[in-house]
Amino acid sequence: MNRNDFKYKGYAGKLLRVNLADGTWMDEHLTNDLTELYIGGAGMAARILYDELKPGIDPFSPENKVIFLTGPVVGTMIPTASRIGLYAKSPLTNSFFHSSAGGHFAPELKFAGYDGIIFEGRAEKPVYLFIDDGYVELRDAAHLWGMDTNRVQLELFEELGSDAVQIAAIGPAGEKLVRFACVMCGCRALGRGGLGAVLGSKNVKAVAVRGQGSVDVPDMRRMKVILDEMFARFNANPATSEILPRYGTPVLVNANNTLGLFGYKNWQDEFYPDADGLSGDTMRKKIVKRDKSCFACPARCGKFSIVGSGPYEGVRNEGPEYEDIFSLGSMCGHNDIEVVAAAERVCDDLGVDAIEAGVAIAFAMECCERGLLRKEDTDGIDLKFGRADLIVPLVEKIALREGRLGNLLAEGVKRASEKIGNGSAYFAMHNKGLTFAGHSARGMPGFALGYASGPRGGSHHDGRPTGERTGLVPRETIEGKGEYTARINHLNIFTDSLIVCHLTESIWGPLDVTDIAVRCLNVATGMNMTLEEARTAAERIWNLIRAFAVREGYRREHDQLPPRFLEEPIKTGPSSGMAITRQMLDDLLDQYYEFRGWDKTTGIPTRERLMQLGLEDIARDMEQYQ
Amino acid sequence: MNITVKSFANIRDVVGTGELVFDVNPGTTIGGLFDALKKKYGAAFDRQIRDQMTGAIVPFLILINDKTYRTTTDLGVSLSEGDTVTIMIPFDGG
Repeated sequence: MNRNDFKYKGYAGKLLRVNLADGTWMDEHLTNDLTELYIGGAGMAARILYDELKPGIDPFSPENKVIFLTGPVVGTMIPTASRIGLYAKSPLTNSFFHSSAGGHFAPELKFAGYDGIIFEGRAEKPVYLFIDDGYVELRDAAHLWGMDTNRVQLELFEELGSDAVQIAAIGPAGEKLVRFACVMCGCRALGRGGLGAVLGSKNVKAVAVRGQGSVDVPDMRRMKVILDEMFARFNANPATSEILPRYGTPVLVNANNTLGLFGYKNWQDEFYPDADGLSGDTMRKKIVKRDKSCFACPARCGKFSIVGSGPYEGVRNEGPEYEDIFSLGSMCGHNDIEVVAAAERVCDDLGVDAIEAGVAIAFAMECCERGLLRKEDTDGIDLKFGRADLIVPLVEKIALREGRLGNLLAEGVKRASEKIGNGSAYFAMHNKGLTFAGHSARGMPGFALGYASGPRGGSHHDGRPTGERTGLVPRETIEGKGEYTARINHLNIFTDSLIVCHLTESIWGPLDVTDIAVRCLNVATGMNMTLEEARTAAERIWNLIRAFAVREGYRREHDQLPPRFLEEPIKTGPSSGMAITRQMLDDLLDQYYEFRGWDKTTGIPTRERLMQLGLEDIARDMEQYQ
Repeated sequence: MNITVKSFANIRDVVGTGELVFDVNPGTTIGGLFDALKKKYGAAFDRQIRDQMTGAIVPFLILINDKTYRTTTDLGVSLSEGDTVTIMIPFDGG
């Protein structure tokens, strides 16, 4: 398309496509259709990757592609419009994966003139991409290879003569193809799904961006009106005005544990009697020094911390976040917040997803305690729950693939359990290869359905725990939860296409795509999308991602929860006795497929529903799988 | 009658302790308890539980002893002498 034919503001209007094999690049202009049908972010990336990736490819092959993508509101002052998304076929789940992060990288990319970057092929030698206000160069990165993510950023500040450059970088874990390697943007992680390893497989060490442009909106007066409304909402809501700014996500430790919904010792239980050592209150008192914000966000939920005592005294960190505390603390059976802070910093520096790393360690601890891993399998390490002293060394081993144990766990718990055998799969707490985040399945059936049916498996951003955890809907029943979960899927994928932050979902939702999100899109771009059209767009994107998964072999039988969740009720605490039985999960899936218009036997979207959503080409593709 | 109020994070910051014994009139409801806490601790308490634009108490859970209640449906539930009420912080995300 000629750039003059593209009619929407908000977007930069073009993508940068980089062919790593021959070191060339070209601009591609956005089209009206692509943005109207798929918005941006996750929606647009899903369409591009569905069209351009052959089914069945190895995620580490040159045929895979990695996309960095912003969304239409990113770079405006709309609250939380800071997020960068990363997209590829995941080496953990073998399907479309999206991960996003706040910070400042995404607006900088827009200011430099691009909505996104598509990497294809594989570079012969390590490279980094430099974008400077529309100037593009692929540069040699041999001197950066092997460096941790923090060091890479400092080196590039020096090399590029400015610290006003935003950098996304992989660490040694991405280079070594650890299947849950992440990408760090400043101190923010594009954490889940192993997309850092996909960049590593392409020999891309970093992307450095500097931009002095701006984001053009159609009518500044309309923008000011909606900004006034949005900031008033943020200031009025207790979650965004009081709680996130003061305690950040770690406030959830006490909240979830008090309800008995806090994963403990590899989900053997969901109540940790000594969890207060890990709580937001303890963290604030012991290590938090100040609060930090992402671009355009008034919530200040980032917590800059310094460990003040013990073996890790002096370690600095932005975090840890709730999920890190769950995985590197409670799941491993200890409550030392300083160890968690230090371990999370190692995850960031070496470039691994802290959720996956912590849960892998918890899995290994349980396997050792049950005699499924012997000392010769663990390089002589005596793994036990509660051994806080092991967490940092084990994260290092995993991220660097050191020894038998490090190499085993670097594959993720699904593949590790397949190698160990002996029934260890029972203790591998994942769906579709992705470990569960720190939110209960057994205590929240709608959210359990989100975990089971989610295209990313264990992600807490396909379904969401919020509706059941705050009492917007009752958590004691499965009634109505099929539609409930599907509508939350749509909210999530719509906001992931704008891209804005789920942590402020009380403003954006929290139970469906809402008018305010659509109005933000329209004001930023000049679109005239109705709420109904926005909900249809979200459903279209969700079905497209499902079709991607179907092409990769996913069916109803893969919409699962691990046997521990299906066979063991929560043992202690206020939610003791709560469980998701196989019958409940079956009923939930039936409800969900029925609402979605998917075939109940296979879980494949029906031709009728795909046609209603304007996905005629996908409907034709799906015929061969019916 | 005396009830015990447990809290953490922002609400603990406002009331000054994680656990306090609070004297309320017999028959006080969950909503009445919030009114009493607002009376004692002022706007600082109110800001933790109420949307300042709409004036409504936002959705969150409360434990009475070990049973869960919802602000969306249960503000009229009466408390009894000796009850322990745990106020779950109103929080999204995670």
